[in-house]
Amino acid sequence: MSKTQVSFSLNGQAVEVMVEPRELLIHVMRDQLRQTGSHIGCETSHCGACTVDFNGESVKSCTLLAVQAQGAEVMTVEGLAVNGELHPLQQAFMDEHGLQCGYCTPGMLMRSYRFLLENPDPSEAEIRAGMSGNLCRCTGYQNIVKSIQKAAAAINASGRDEASTA
Amino acid sequence: MAATAESLERKDKLEGIGCARKRKEDPRFIQGQGLYVDDINLPGMVYGALVRSPHAHARIKSINKEKALALPGVLAVLTADDLKPLSLHWMPTLGSDVQAVLADEKVAFQLQEVAMVIAEERYIAADGVDLVEVEYEELPAIVDPHKSMDADAPIIREDLVGKDEVGHGKRLHDNHIFTWEAGDKDSTDAVFDKAEVTIKEEILNPRVHPCPLETCGCVGSFDKVKGQLTVYMTSQNPHLVRTVLAMLSGIPESKIRVVTNDIGGGFGNKVPVYPGYVVAIVASIVLGRPVKWIESRIENISTTGFARDYHGSAELAADNDGRIKALRFNVLADHGAFNSHVSATKWPAGLFSICTGSYDIATAYVKVDAVYTNKAPGGVAYRCSLRVTEAVYLIERMIDILAQKLDIDKAEIRKRNFIQADQFPYNTSLGWTVDSGNYEPALDKVLKAVDYAGLRKEQAEKRAKGELMGIGISTFTEIVGAGPTKACDILGIGLFDSCEIRVNPTGSAIARMGTQTQGQGHETTYAQIIATELGIPSEEIQVEEGDTDKAPYGAGTWGSRSTPVGGAAVAKAARKIRDKARKIAAHLLEVSEDDLEWDIDQFRVKGVPDQAKTMKEIAMAAYSNIPDGMENGLEAVDYYDPPNFTFPFGAYVCVVDIDPKTGEAKIRRFYALDDCGTRINDMIIEGQVHGGLTEALAVAMGQLIDFDEDGNLLGNSLMDYYLPTTVETPHWETDYTVTPSPHHPLGAKGVAESPHVGGIPCFSNAVIDALSHLGVTHVDMPHTAHRIWKKLHELGAN
Amino acid sequence: MKVKLDKRYPVAASANSAWQFLQDVKSVAACMPGAEITEQSDETHFKGMVKVKVGPVTSTFNGDIEVQGVDAEKKELILLGKGADTKGTSSASMLLTASIQDTADGQCELIGDAEVTVNGKMASFGGRMLDSISDQILQQFADNFANNVIAMGEGAAAEVAAAKVADAPKELNGLAMIWHLITGFFNKLFSRESSQP
Repeated sequence: MSKTQVSFSLNGQAVEVMVEPRELLIHVMRDQLRQTGSHIGCETSHCGACTVDFNGESVKSCTLLAVQAQGAEVMTVEGLAVNGELHPLQQAFMDEHGLQCGYCTPGMLMRSYRFLLENPDPSEAEIRAGMSGNLCRCTGYQNIVKSIQKAAAAINASGRDEASTA
Repeated sequence: MAATAESLERKDKLEGIGCARKRKEDPRFIQGQGLYVDDINLPGMVYGALVRSPHAHARIKSINKEKALALPGVLAVLTADDLKPLSLHWMPTLGSDVQAVLADEKVAFQLQEVAMVIAEERYIAADGVDLVEVEYEELPAIVDPHKSMDADAPIIREDLVGKDEVGHGKRLHDNHIFTWEAGDKDSTDAVFDKAEVTIKEEILNPRVHPCPLETCGCVGSFDKVKGQLTVYMTSQNPHLVRTVLAMLSGIPESKIRVVTNDIGGGFGNKVPVYPGYVVAIVASIVLGRPVKWIESRIENISTTGFARDYHGSAELAADNDGRIKALRFNVLADHGAFNSHVSATKWPAGLFSICTGSYDIATAYVKVDAVYTNKAPGGVAYRCSLRVTEAVYLIERMIDILAQKLDIDKAEIRKRNFIQADQFPYNTSLGWTVDSGNYEPALDKVLKAVDYAGLRKEQAEKRAKGELMGIGISTFTEIVGAGPTKACDILGIGLFDSCEIRVNPTGSAIARMGTQTQGQGHETTYAQIIATELGIPSEEIQVEEGDTDKAPYGAGTWGSRSTPVGGAAVAKAARKIRDKARKIAAHLLEVSEDDLEWDIDQFRVKGVPDQAKTMKEIAMAAYSNIPDGMENGLEAVDYYDPPNFTFPFGAYVCVVDIDPKTGEAKIRRFYALDDCGTRINDMIIEGQVHGGLTEALAVAMGQLIDFDEDGNLLGNSLMDYYLPTTVETPHWETDYTVTPSPHHPLGAKGVAESPHVGGIPCFSNAVIDALSHLGVTHVDMPHTAHRIWKKLHELGAN
Repeated sequence: MKVKLDKRYPVAASANSAWQFLQDVKSVAACMPGAEITEQSDETHFKGMVKVKVGPVTSTFNGDIEVQGVDAEKKELILLGKGADTKGTSSASMLLTASIQDTADGQCELIGDAEVTVNGKMASFGGRMLDSISDQILQQFADNFANNVIAMGEGAAAEVAAAKVADAPKELNGLAMIWHLITGFFNKLFSRESSQP
């Protein structure tokens, strides 16, 4: 299969890759661009470990062809902290024990990042519904919910009108 | 000596045992800098992908590699024939059996490994798999273990024909693996014959799969120049794997390095040595390039270590007051096509004989018959503590059934049968010595917290209106911490564990253990133990596991053995250092050792508190100012052989509401009280309980690895296999009591599997309790809406 | 995984014509879209193949067909077909008893009584759709069969039928079938009439 060039922005940096049309974005990010923060947990788009922020939406990067990323703005967990300063979600996950083995964590962070931008003051039920596309086997979700609640409070309290790292 | 504000401050600074401190490992995970096996990228690395059998039972007539080899980028296609000259086409399992690495002339379960394609790139390897042509001659498959020992049953393991035993005593049939018994059959039968009440129920622990979020995989890398093999692997027990690899390959163990960095969840799924690992390693040796093999989710669910598949025929004999007099459990165990699950040599049915549970049962007998079927190999996995999930499920279900039969309240009947506090250490009728327990106060605490009497009243009112509400109770005793070497070994190696600690001149320390965290927080909890023992802040103690070149030998982490065995080794190694530190302190303060007392982070002269030396000062002295006759340095290693298992316990209550029209069961409330002895970090323990309960919810309410009559897997991807999301998972309420283990250096017992072991029967008991007024005594798991609806329909209740 | 099928299809032609056509195994095989007989080893043994396309993925099944019985009086043909896809990931076998029965007014019915066994990937992933997909496949087959038989005759009806045969899809398009299944399901939900089995 002949390769084609794809250019997009990854965590604020312009990148250029040569890919086969059938290559998935998750593979290109992990293998070619060596950004291994996003993980692979299934091949049926269920687990959400590969969740990234794509043109302002939560997207499972295992269900996206790399060629679809042409011209896109992609953010992964590696882009959450800015100049070494952790995003309130990252801090909250540590404060509230929202992770154990860490494998679902990048997906949880990237999904909750976009979720809080969509819904800055969510109820617990809304958080659970909003995060239902991300599976976890270790935590039982309770502390993940607490982490997101804590981050929401921190973001709202700091008066940030956009808790976006852009 | 009363704690002063100053001493409390010193203690708090340590963040040692009892401190709910944040985890030291988190910073890398929240920044996507964890190092899981698929993150590893070595120069020249190539990829392996497996060709697998579509049939559950078939002869291989031919394998045509031509088209695959012709594909540009494909470097090799390995089959059993390629492994034969190296005698690697079969390998020993951790269950004293052998397993085909690549199918040798026949396949015995669907998706069994047949060949591996090695290619330059991931996608080319997958293309190569599609091009390998295998011709099969289908054979009839055995899917129902009850048929395995039929006279006309097809023989699954032709390689074992004529072999009298497969590691565990005489075989009764070509598809039989072993019969294991415990207890006294004759006495038990005698009690049953005379009993006032007997009950019998067929109880299934269905086949399920642990499904950790990260699948299994490895990168094998052989250095031809040095003759050294390095394997990065998802392994819960790197040292055992290293020893197995040495036995298999003939490479000296000193030239093999197994490295586990971060693991995305283990749950017992990452204990066995899988064929994919072995072939990838062989390929790396043959090709002279690192070979990465990572399985897909479907491969993981279909072929790696499943859990349970225990078909129980359970009986209790009791008096009219509900006092259990005897227990008789017969089990048919479906192990799949190879006996590959981890089991200590003398315990092929794991620790199943803990099935007398929290109860004082004078006479008991259990028998487990294990058979082969045309399904994936395994059986011990998924937070089971080695078959303890199966055992506790049976006893907790049976005591509920007895309560229903005698119309005795389900909490009351448990109290009538509990081992009493003054009976510990208690010798069970099946041979265990339960170290400590205090069951009734734990149950009372929970019953009070949920207003049990109020719930039963509410249930009666709801039943009068035709509504379905159930209350499930589980009072379980676990057995963890395998185990005393005289009783437990795997492939001959004892189940001790180890810790090595080295204190630096500037007072920080590094410690390594033979266990292997998969998310349980060892980098934090072990540091906390050392902090309390040595008076060094846990923040300054570096904990490492998983590199067999560095860590002392251990059996790894499974069956909740880290705290009971590893944690004990940590404490003892630390105490050896403290003993030496005392001598140095005495030398520095110019007093005798007997004049000194240890206080939080320092040795001080008794009665003269300002004459003290902190551990930091002592550490520097260990390298600069030591007494005559002493060696420099401040380090120790301890290999801890536990004198006994530990027995954490708990009391759980679950309230469930079932919609009679849809069969859907909603978990209204779940209250879990755990007693794991001394608690190192409340936050981490609570997290483990949440996780174990969620996995229990999954097993009880929806998980099933199912087959059709030809051995085709039905539902082996996440399209069908039930993993609860944030929406289905209820809010968990946790509580605790503390009953230390008398034989453990810290009094700690371990906890991570308890919520799973105790949770599953609790959910089941709740669902069945909701239907008990309709005459239901037992319904098998999983309690999906469809199955509950069907039952209600059968009963004419909807 | 087994599926039992018991189907009847009306054929607007005489029983004799239909029976005549039924005995021509090569032509009958061609009524299955994407199928063909590639070899005939003897009177009762054939080799054949079926190409199935689901989206971008095409699978080729190679198989053996054995004519186990021919009964001219009962106008009955017994066929055993067994095949596996070339990659070896799925296999299927079918024991089919096909017969022609007279109906009123000089027409007839094709009766198919089959037991289909499927193993491998197709059973694991396609199992739940097996019944409905088999229905669809057999409907296509029966339509082609009927058209072929009618085309053997003369007159306007025969010409129309011949044109239909020429236009029939040459491959088994799985995706198209699934689409029909889905639309059919919704049609059934919203229509008052009961649909053809």
